[in-house]
Amino acid sequence: MQTSLFADAIFWVLAALAVFSGWRVFRTDSMVRASFFLLASFIAVGAIMLLLAAVYLGLAMLFMMAVEMMVMALFMVMFMMNPAGLNPMVMVHQHRLSIVAGGLAFAVLGALALFVEFPDRPLPAGLDPVASLGREMLGDSMLVFESAGIVLLATMIGVVVMSSHRGRFGAADQGSLPPGLEPGGVPAGPQPDAEGSGGHHHHCH
Amino acid sequence: MMAWAAMVLTFLALAVGGYAVAVADRLIAGACGWPHQGNAWLAPLARGAWLYRQDANVTEAPDRPAWRLAPALYLALAALGLALVPWSPTLVVADLATGVVLWGSLEALATVAIFLHGWSANAPLALIGGYRYVALGLSYILVSMFVLIGVVLPAESLKFSQVVAAQEELWNVVRQPLGLPLFLIVGLGLTFWGPLNLADSTDLAGGTASEVSGPPRLVWEIARVAMLVAFSGIAATAFLGGWLGPWLPGPLWLALKMLAVLLALAWLGRVLPRLAPERCVTLMWVVLLPLSFVDLIWAGLEAL
Repeated sequence: MQTSLFADAIFWVLAALAVFSGWRVFRTDSMVRASFFLLASFIAVGAIMLLLAAVYLGLAMLFMMAVEMMVMALFMVMFMMNPAGLNPMVMVHQHRLSIVAGGLAFAVLGALALFVEFPDRPLPAGLDPVASLGREMLGDSMLVFESAGIVLLATMIGVVVMSSHRGRFGAADQGSLPPGLEPGGVPAGPQPDAEGSGGHHHHCH
Repeated sequence: MMAWAAMVLTFLALAVGGYAVAVADRLIAGACGWPHQGNAWLAPLARGAWLYRQDANVTEAPDRPAWRLAPALYLALAALGLALVPWSPTLVVADLATGVVLWGSLEALATVAIFLHGWSANAPLALIGGYRYVALGLSYILVSMFVLIGVVLPAESLKFSQVVAAQEELWNVVRQPLGLPLFLIVGLGLTFWGPLNLADSTDLAGGTASEVSGPPRLVWEIARVAMLVAFSGIAATAFLGGWLGPWLPGPLWLALKMLAVLLALAWLGRVLPRLAPERCVTLMWVVLLPLSFVDLIWAGLEAL
C-alpha cells in the first residue's frame, strides 16, 4: 500500500502534538489544565489510530477520553479542595522515583521501537475493520466482553443509587448528622432537634 | 470534487442555517406576543455587528488561551458534525464508516468545550454554568447514543449514508416513533437552548458566557446556533430520511428537513417551560433514559 505524503505529514503533526501536550501535562500548574492537555494528547493518538485504519477504535478513544478526562478533572478538583482548580500547584511529586520510572519506561519502549522487527502486513483489500472488530468482540470473546459490560453497568447503577439525593428514608441532606469530633461522640455542628422544635424566633437568643 | 462541493454546501448551511435560527426565534417570539427587539430579519445582523464592535471583557487571571479557544472549539465541533451529514448518496464531506460514533464523540467533546468556556473565565457564575452543563451533559449523551443505536440497527451500519438508505421504504420517524422526540430534547440540551438552557441561563446572569463580551461572545453565539444547525442535520439524516424525497433534488430535501427541525426546535425552545437543573437531571435519568431503552428495544424487536 502506498502511503501518501499528505498522510505522512498528518502523522508527524499529530505525533508532535501528542508528545507536546503529554509533556505539558506535567509542566502546567493546574489539574484542570493537566487533564485537558492529556485529553489533547489522547485525541492526537486517536487520530493516528484513524490513520492506521482503526476507524472504530480511534473514535472510541475520542469519546471515552473526552468524558473520562472531564470526570477526572472534576473529581480531582473536588478531592484536592483547590477552588475550581485555578490555584497554581505543582503537578509532579516523588521526583526521583518518577525520573527513574520514566527513564526506564522510555528506554524499554524506545528499544522496542528500534530493535523489534515489525511485521509488514498491508491491509487485505476487502477488510472491513468495524465489522471484523464486531465479530471479534461478539463472537469468540462474547463471554469476556459481556461479563465485563454487566459488571461495569452494575457498578454504575450502584454508584448512582449510593450517591443519589433521594433515598428510601427521604432526601439525603435531611436528618443526616455529621460524625462526632471524637469516635462515638456527639455529632459536630449545630444539633438538628434544637432547630426543629424551637420555632421561628429560636435563633434570636 | 464532490467532497469540495459538499464542503462548500456545509459551510453555506452553517451560515444560512444559523441566521435562519436567529430569525425564526425572533419571529416565533413576535407571533406569540413575547418581547423581542427590532425587525426579526435585521436584529440578528445588528446584534452581530454590535458585538463585533464591543470590547472583549477581561476577568482577573483567566486561563486566556482556553477562554478564547473554547468558542472556536465549539464552533469547530459543530462544523465537524455537519460534515458527517450526506446531502445525497455521493455528496458528502466525510462519509465515515463510523460516522454515528464520531457524532457521539462530538457530543462528548462539546461537554469539554462548554466546561472550558465556563471554567477558564475564573469567575463564579461562569464556573457554576460550566459545572452545571457537565452534570447534565452526561445524561444528554446517553439518551442520544441509545436513540442513535436504535437508528443504526435497521441500517446495519454506522455510516450515515447507510442510515439514510435504510429509510427508503419507511422513515425512522415512523418506524421508531420515540426516537425523534427524544433526540429533539437532547438537541435542546446539547445546545442549551430554550428550556434546557441551564449552562448560560439568566439565573446565572448568562452562565458560562456571563463574563464574555465583544468578538469572543459573538463567536460563542454563532457556535451555539451552528451546533443547533449541525444537530438538525443529524436529526434530519437519522430520522427524516435525509436526502430522500420525490420531485426535488436530494440536497434541497435535506435543507428543507433541516429547516423543519430548526423551526421545531426554535418553537419548542420558546413554548416549553424552563426546568430547574436538579429536576432536569431527574427527568433525564428517570423518564427519558428509560424511554430511550424502550426505543432501543422497539428498534431491536423490529430489526429481528
